[in-house]
Amino acid sequence: MIRKFTIALALIAALVSVGNKAVAQCDTVANACVRHMTSKYISDGQHYRALLLDKEIAEFQSTFYGGTTYRIAACSGLGDGNLVFRIFDKERNLLFDNSEQQNAPYWDFKFVSTLDCTIEAQIIPGKAPSGCAVMMISFKQ
Amino acid sequence: MNHKKYLKLALVGFVLFSASTIISSCGDPKKVEETEEEPVDAAKDNLVSVNGELFSIPSPLQTSILLKSSGANYSKDILNLTSNLPSYSTEYKKALNLGVYGADLGYVIIYGQTQDALGYLNASKRLADDINVSGAFDASLMKRFEKNMGNNDSLLSIFTSGYRATDSYLKNNDRNAVSGMVITGGWIESLYFTLNILKKDFKNKNVVIQRVGEQKNTLDHVIKLLTPFYQNPDMTELTELTDALLELYHEFEDIEVKYTFVKPTTDVANKITTINSKTEVKITDEQLKNITDKLSAIRQMIIN
Repeated sequence: MIRKFTIALALIAALVSVGNKAVAQCDTVANACVRHMTSKYISDGQHYRALLLDKEIAEFQSTFYGGTTYRIAACSGLGDGNLVFRIFDKERNLLFDNSEQQNAPYWDFKFVSTLDCTIEAQIIPGKAPSGCAVMMISFKQ
Repeated sequence: MNHKKYLKLALVGFVLFSASTIISSCGDPKKVEETEEEPVDAAKDNLVSVNGELFSIPSPLQTSILLKSSGANYSKDILNLTSNLPSYSTEYKKALNLGVYGADLGYVIIYGQTQDALGYLNASKRLADDINVSGAFDASLMKRFEKNMGNNDSLLSIFTSGYRATDSYLKNNDRNAVSGMVITGGWIESLYFTLNILKKDFKNKNVVIQRVGEQKNTLDHVIKLLTPFYQNPDMTELTELTDALLELYHEFEDIEVKYTFVKPTTDVANKITTINSKTEVKITDEQLKNITDKLSAIRQMIIN
């Protein structure tokens, strides 16, 4: 009984440790990713993060206002080009796929009209077994 | 070693480990982690749901920018008074009003009303400190803000960095309910001042009315953001707020939204894609009035 309890405590400690590493990893990625947000752009004030295993996809739902130019940056790891991100409209029409642009870590989008979109992010298979995916959204005044 | 001693040691070890974990995770949110990146082989992190959905709520600043560009005058009377600050005693009220004051701060900066900006920044700092996110609005940020008075672009950048640090800190520390409340407060306030400015006369009212209708999907996202905490016995006020937002959503439900897909165009050299699809929103005067009434009641619930 006591042995089981001790094992349970050790497991909880291990899980807390993994959680801390995940937080640290996401902070590191976010700090590296923020360099793509130049001073011309204003942050939306939020952080979007997902810890992804191989082939898992993070899904972000967002509304983009018409007449606004946005910058979207999507990062994983410290280097560029580890993450694929795709933007779909509400009818699942593909609007953008960064894999067609050499896995660009950021891209600008000019929205003619207000649109509800889904952004999907996935670590490029073979680049890393798992990791933290960070997405940042900013806009031009 | 007998079993009792073994158990005691294990417990002491775990308590010390947990304490060090909590202490280490409560540091300055702006501090850059210097640890080497390591692959993490468990998806059971406490940051966000994997393969679930994340909801992005547009910045309240964008609404203020639209109001100014539409020719609406600055109206201080529609903002929440900073003198209300002492009456916010619970974490629920503090978090929501941190969002409210953030939206107000963005509004006064966009209109270049720097004499009002400092009051809203101080109110935001005080609430952030009270909900233990003190590092987000630290002394250096406050100093930079004062130094850049008159330079609106710098002020916007400084204040959004404070709010981004707050959001990051709350999410890192698994305080997603508080993060959701700050975001919700900001959204409610920006919609409130939009609806009230619509009662006044200015040039491009139709653009602003259209923006109100476009909040249908954002309201849906706000509700989904708060759903994980619904009916949590420790968050009864948040459940009441979610119920009120659901009631508000009923008023948005019948707004007509017509979407037409148009193929995007990409300028590879400049790394920019133009999204040409179109959304048309039709909102009646009655819908606008009902939304104004319900939203005003919700806002009263928060700021009083």
